[in-house]
Amino acid sequence: MKTCTLALAVAMLAAPASAHAFLDHASPAAGENFRSPPARVELHFTEALEPAFSGVTVTDDGGRDMAAGDVAVVGAEMDLPLKPLAPGRYRVSWHAVSVDTHRTEGKYNFLILPR
Amino acid sequence: MSAIRFRRHAGLLVLLSAFSFQSAYAHGVVGDRFFPATITSDDPFAADELALPTVTLGNHEEDYDFEYTKSIFPHVAISFAGGYIDAHPGPDASGWDNFEITPMWQFLTDDASEFVASAALSFEIGGSGARAVADTATTYTPEILFGKGFGDLPDSMALLRPVAVTGVIGYAIPGTSTESKAVQWSGALEYSLLYLQNNVRDQGFSKFVAHLTPLVEFSMRSPTDAGGTTGTIDPGLIWSGQYVQLAAEAVIPVNHASGSNIGIVMQLHFYIDDIFPHSLGTPIFGGSH
Repeated sequence: MKTCTLALAVAMLAAPASAHAFLDHASPAAGENFRSPPARVELHFTEALEPAFSGVTVTDDGGRDMAAGDVAVVGAEMDLPLKPLAPGRYRVSWHAVSVDTHRTEGKYNFLILPR
Repeated sequence: MSAIRFRRHAGLLVLLSAFSFQSAYAHGVVGDRFFPATITSDDPFAADELALPTVTLGNHEEDYDFEYTKSIFPHVAISFAGGYIDAHPGPDASGWDNFEITPMWQFLTDDASEFVASAALSFEIGGSGARAVADTATTYTPEILFGKGFGDLPDSMALLRPVAVTGVIGYAIPGTSTESKAVQWSGALEYSLLYLQNNVRDQGFSKFVAHLTPLVEFSMRSPTDAGGTTGTIDPGLIWSGQYVQLAAEAVIPVNHASGSNIGIVMQLHFYIDDIFPHSLGTPIFGGSH
């Protein structure tokens, strides 16, 4: 059994593997509060993404799209410029397809506080 | 047969899959939720994965198990499980346990509610193991399995959104009248630090900590003909990486009939669909979801 485990571990290291793209870190981060609104959302993933099938939206509590431009997907990162944000709660919704077609998705909120 | 042995879900690496150059599909991902593979209870995912080894220490025996699950079609898989029992005292109580084959159909996957359900039929093949430790009669166990994440809880309960549960209920039907039929019920209560970090509130966890899932599993067997319920409660921790996961749990008997000592179970688990996304990790027929 040890031999089998070792053989698989070696195969795993040798294989041209890629995996599901999980969110590694983000700015704004989940649950973060701001007094100065961020100008963009940046998402960093654990795997390189397929740009045609990956994206992110930012909406306010009324469901209005707060994007000020197109999403840029480069490597393992997504970048979305934002309109000026008024105090309130905003939702970031992303979907990511890694270069080997594994799909993941997620969403979280951040808050802009009154100055 | 002890509760720990009874709920063994280990497997045999059978390289029967034809290679396919189609896309892989997800293990354990439903909507925003990632469910790690549980140890002492089955999880509801029909995915390409390998648990090798699962080592259980305690209750006067050591078990060394393995389980390989191969997807045949999208959402349909077959698992092959087996293991070696090294019981005390003496070699007379040691040997290979029966071989187990379990076809599974993941018939419901709802991303919005983070809910998944599957049906399975397990065949523990009587006489395939050593006479000293394995039953001679085949046991058939139809099962329903489910998983539910609580990401849809309201904002007032946001810190509970990382909670998820999985469960299995089955009815074991031995192929002999000398053994009792039994309801088998098992499951897990999980709290995903990854979900907390990425979907609720960034806690500043390190990459290692963010991939931990504290959980409590349980695995019970309630004979319907004679005898009382036996089983274990298994608190522990799973670390889920990109390609493998590591897990360790305490194995606590729920009563004297289930054992007298606290054991430990450890598992190394490989995500075959991520390791071999264009070949072994895809369904033999039908490609990706």
